[in-house]
Amino acid sequence: MAKKFKITICSGTTCYVLGGAQLMMLADSIPAELKDQVEIVDSNCIKACHFENAQPPFVQINDYLMSQASVAKVVDYLRKHLQEQA
Amino acid sequence: MNYINNASLLKRQLIVRFARLMFAGKLKERIDYLPMQQAPRDVAAVRCCVHHDRAVIRYRLIALLGFAIENEKPEDEARSLASYAEEAETLGESRLAGSVLTVIDEACSACIRANYRVTNACRGCVARPCIMNCPKSCISFENGHALIDEKVCISCGICAKVCPYHSIIYQPIPCEEACPVDAITQDERGKEDIDATKCINCGKCLQACPFGAIMERSEIFEILRAITNPAEPTVALIAPSIIGQFNTSLGKLVTALRRLGFDHVAEVAWGADLAAEKETAELIERLEHGQTCMTSSCCPAYVEAVDKHLKTIKPLVSDTLSPMQYTGEWAGRQWPGARRIFIGPCIAKRAEARRSPHIENTLTYEELGSFFIAAGIDVTECEESKADLEASSVGRKFAVSGGVSAAITRAAAAGGHAVTEKVINGLDTKSLATLKAIDKIVKPGTFIEVMSCEGGCINGPGVISNPVVARRFLEKMLEEKQP
Repeated sequence: MAKKFKITICSGTTCYVLGGAQLMMLADSIPAELKDQVEIVDSNCIKACHFENAQPPFVQINDYLMSQASVAKVVDYLRKHLQEQA
Repeated sequence: MNYINNASLLKRQLIVRFARLMFAGKLKERIDYLPMQQAPRDVAAVRCCVHHDRAVIRYRLIALLGFAIENEKPEDEARSLASYAEEAETLGESRLAGSVLTVIDEACSACIRANYRVTNACRGCVARPCIMNCPKSCISFENGHALIDEKVCISCGICAKVCPYHSIIYQPIPCEEACPVDAITQDERGKEDIDATKCINCGKCLQACPFGAIMERSEIFEILRAITNPAEPTVALIAPSIIGQFNTSLGKLVTALRRLGFDHVAEVAWGADLAAEKETAELIERLEHGQTCMTSSCCPAYVEAVDKHLKTIKPLVSDTLSPMQYTGEWAGRQWPGARRIFIGPCIAKRAEARRSPHIENTLTYEELGSFFIAAGIDVTECEESKADLEASSVGRKFAVSGGVSAAITRAAAAGGHAVTEKVINGLDTKSLATLKAIDKIVKPGTFIEVMSCEGGCINGPGVISNPVVARRFLEKMLEEKQP
């Protein structure tokens, strides 16, 4: 079965140093009811920081690019969108 | 505990901007614009207004240039940052003398004057035991609630104890609560001051302050100048805890360091291997001479704590040099005249390095990461290469609490000496009290590892990765290395 959410965490140096290091804890923080809906991928730089006024760290959730991402923001997003689509 | 917070991210952004100017050779020309760039007019201010934000950023830059903010004279408020950069160049490293930590008065919010506060859970009861029992009579009654006069309160806590609704709470001052040696205290205005005669440079106050008011006096000015100058040879001495800081392999990191401008890269874990060997020999010799126990000496905050607060246990501390110093000594023989730059998670190492003839400068991971961003180097995309000096997994484990004592006891056991190990994981008032009487507590023949940071160096004040992640990464890597 395909997972509902594919989460790509950018581990490029810019993202990692400017807050992305904390996103490595994401897998530990996904609520139990969401666990089998989520696939987490650790990726090299996804080049989102190359844009003017970029606000790292970045996380890509399916088609959505989240800037200034944090564990809490990602979990909130998942909760919200799981309900929307259900 | 090291947790992610906005104050440290803002500091990293500022270091990126600073480094970009240094790489472009435009520091003096452009540094006075940095506060405006970091806190632009059209973005909501973090403090009361954009001007206050900018004033704090200005002081951060002064600390990044290596100056102590305490030395500011009233007329210096009108000085340009360019003139500080100029002075950094003319004074050179003599400006770095004195305490490593500095307090930005402008950022310190003088947060808490009295440690007890009446919350809105107060019922305004008839009994009013808080008022009746306050030894300073500093509690009054206003709008149906008890109110503590912060100027008179002595924080004795009796009111909180007697309140039937538990509506009076204890609020610590974060930096003072974090300091294990009472070195940071409020002045008459409520602003914090660091007493250099007591301070052990552990950096716990810096991690604890929610306003980012405590800064280390950085050496990035010297370091950036040296690595951008092709004529000046430089050595990066990377601490064992660097594994796990960039979510990538050590080999890629070595390439990234070379691309940044370091001519040579040496693993300090090599010095840790050597230190473990010497410390084991020292321990066995001391035990044979009738000493009951010996403590490690690799953590500089602990060594400073002994020198300043626990003089009686000084004879128990190992005389073995720290891994940083052994590696620095080696690098000095290998590349005479090169600038040896220790890269680690530690603030106390800055103080140790300034006293040592084997190290010229120190850099934190946080600063290094910001340099990579400024130089546009993505560590994960670098190819693998080998450091000029490599280490074994024994030395690499020094980064994690328990790693030092495990190395020593194992080496002692291999030589037929049974040694007990004890780990003091993190310095606080309680563990310092334990250390004071350590020779009476432990059984004879014990090696005691002491780390100021809970969890070891991977939880130091200058790290990037969450210590849980760094520990996992380190363990994974060491497993792969040992077939």
